Order: sequence, then C-alpha cells, then structure tokens
Amino acid sequence: MGPARFPALGSRVWAFGVGAAALTIAILSVPSATRAAGPEEDLPDGEGKKILVASCTACHDLSEVTKFRGYYDRKQWRDIVVTMMEYGAPVDEKQVDILADYLVEHLGKK
Amino acid sequence: MNAVIHRRLLLSALLVLLAIPAAAQVRIIQTNSQGDNIHLIDPATNQIVGEVKGVPINHGAAGAPDGSRLYFSSEAEQTLHVVDGKTFQLTKKIPLSGRPNNISISRDGRKVYVGIVSSPGAVDVIDTATLEKVKSIPTKGGIHNVYVTPDGNYVVVGSIAGKLMTVIDQKTEEPVWTLFQEGVRPMAFETNADGSTKRIFVQLSDVHGFAVVDFAQRKEVARIELPNDVPPEQVDKGPFNGSPSHGLGVAPDGKTLWVTSRPNARAYTYSLPDLKLLPGYVDLGGRPDWVTFTPDSKSLYIATENTDTVISIDVAARKEITRIKVGKSPKRNITWVARGTS
Repeated sequence: MGPARFPALGSRVWAFGVGAAALTIAILSVPSATRAAGPEEDLPDGEGKKILVASCTACHDLSEVTKFRGYYDRKQWRDIVVTMMEYGAPVDEKQVDILADYLVEHLGKK
Repeated sequence: MNAVIHRRLLLSALLVLLAIPAAAQVRIIQTNSQGDNIHLIDPATNQIVGEVKGVPINHGAAGAPDGSRLYFSSEAEQTLHVVDGKTFQLTKKIPLSGRPNNISISRDGRKVYVGIVSSPGAVDVIDTATLEKVKSIPTKGGIHNVYVTPDGNYVVVGSIAGKLMTVIDQKTEEPVWTLFQEGVRPMAFETNADGSTKRIFVQLSDVHGFAVVDFAQRKEVARIELPNDVPPEQVDKGPFNGSPSHGLGVAPDGKTLWVTSRPNARAYTYSLPDLKLLPGYVDLGGRPDWVTFTPDSKSLYIATENTDTVISIDVAARKEITRIKVGKSPKRNITWVARGTS
C-alpha cells in the first residue's frame, strides 16, 4: 500500500529546526522598514521565545499561537504545550514550564 | 357526482400542497480560525449574505436541520456557541470539558458532538433540547475532527495525538472499534445504496494522500498517493501543520471524491467507486483546509487558509467559478440545508 509519506518526524524536525533557525536569523537581519510586522516581532526575546520559534514553526506559523493572545491562563497555555508535544513538537520536559511561563507572561489572560 | 369529484380534486390538491415542505435554504458556512466571525455564503450567487460575530477563534460549525440554530466551537473561550438561525445572534455559550476542535450534529438535530483536543481527550455530547453538556465520552488522545456518518448510526472521531480513528455507536455513545496508528486528519464517507457507510477516506499526518477504510471489514484496504505533478520550484514547502493533504469530500451524488494537496495547492478528483484519478486538477492558489459541496453536487467550496479565500468550483467542469474573500485564516466549512425556512 506504499504510503506517500513525508520524511519521518525526526529528520523533519531536524530539517525544520535548522530551517527555522535560518529563517529567524534571516528575518531578524532584514531592516524593519522593509518588512511588515509579524507575530514574532510582537514577542520579546527570552528563553521561551527561542523554544517557541524553534519548536512551533516547524509545523505552523506563529500566528497559530498568537491568535490566542489574551484568552488563556497558565494552565490552559500549558495544556496547549502538552498537546503540541503529543502532536510531535520537539519540546523536552525541561522546556515545558519555561515555554508555558513565557506564553502566559506575554500572551496570557490579563 | 361532479361536485363530489370536484371536492375530491380540491382536497387532493390541498394535501399535495401541505406535503411540500417549505423551501429549504442552502448556505455555505465558512469559519475563520483566526477571527471571531463566521461568514454565510449563498451558493446561488456566491455572495456573502450573513455574518455571525463574537465567536473568538472559531473552529467547528454545525447547523440544526430545522434551520433553528447554528452551533460553533470557540477554542478561545472553550465553549460551544449557540446562534439563532434567523437573526445570527448568540443565544447561549455552553461550557465544554476542554479546548474544542471540530463538531458535528446528529441527523435528527438532537445531539451536538464536540471534539475535545485537550489531553486526555473526549467527545462532549450536547443535548440540544436542554442546551447542556450531558456526557463526555473518553477517548485515547485529544480529538481533532468529528463526523456523524451519513446514516446517522455512528460518530467517527480522529485523534492526532492518540494516532487513532474511533468509531462510536451513536445510540449507546460507546466506542465500538478503532483503527490506525497514525495521526488522523479529515475524513469523507461513501455510502451503500441503503445509506449505510461503505468506505471512509481518511487523511493522515504527514501523508500526501489518503487511506481507504472498508467500514464493514473495519480495516484499511488501500492507500492512495496524490500526484506529484508540480515543478519542484513551484511546490509550497509549508509549514502544513503536519498535514500535507488536508480537506477531502465525497460529492452528495456519490460519483466523485475530491482531495486537496497543500504542497501542490491543487484539488484532484477521483471517480467513485473505482477511485480512478480523473484528468486535470483545480489550482487553489493557497493552502487548502476544508471542502464542502452543495446538496445538488453542482458546486464545491474549498477554504484556503493562507489566502483568506473560499474558492467556488464547478464540480462537473472541474473549473473554478469564483473566489470569495472571507475572514482571517478560513478553515472548516459546512453546507447548511435549513429546512423549514424560506
């Protein structure tokens, strides 16, 4: 039945991880006047942002995260992080709380 | 004698008139996954004729068969929004057991099934008479998409995290069988002559194509790869949310299966029941997400999430009719046949 499969998750994550890092550098190196502000620019730097960019953009645009701005408390953001890990997002256990803290601080319900 | 016949003729004509249901109104309901509004499109004119507001980060949509209500899941508020079918005003928000994804409604309109994607996963059951959650059916893994089979006998749900399709008996609300060890994405249903489910076409995580499930045998019987017919430099590299093929549907007349490709930004058509790829394709100009047909099988609507557009397609000609600008990141759509309205 020969499934038409995209590369396995491991290699895909590696490839996307490298790609995401390269893309991040490329985006940040472009003068701000020449590009439209995107969701990434709205977010301050920090360990949480590094995890966010490296792990989430492998599968979707950051707007899929920032669309929840102002709606979720910490428990709900943590639930999203755990759900995405179950989907295959490359976030390790040590990073879960760092990412959840970052998300609730910058995108959480006020 | 003539007077008797005349009265009988009049009576017959009256009975015929009473037997004709009020004109059914057909609307394409288009959700906008990064907005708080939903658009209603009249497929006769391809114009937006209505808008529902105040459903932040809406995901699933369902319409009451009698035209009285629309239902939408809100990921942001973790609620099911109940909207009046005539005024499009919100009438109630029903709290759910977690973050919802897609929804579906029973054929009689009495139950709405809501996929709960939050871990550990569930299907929340909403009683539309009381407008309350009456049950949460536990599942293995968070639920992404929810379907009621065309005959109404089963609720079929897919989990990405649990890598499982679960078939639930609609009457007992108990799971009866499961399949796959891969993330389960959109599905489409082919029926037997009696309306029962014959096959399910299932899109899966990281698969550029779809699986074919024989419903009676409860097993996968084939897997079809979509064409790689786009020059490499023109292939969209994503990201695709782990789902390169997302959005498929069986035309109501049962003659064709339409399947979309995100890398190719195209829709392909397969004849049914033989699953032969038909020549040609429809260019979508963006990343497709969902597919819905008009009841007469003449038109097809495909939402492309990164262009904020819905494309109307002539099914017989397999050609684009028009593009309709909607809201932010349109994804799920349904065809709402509201009987009892005019």
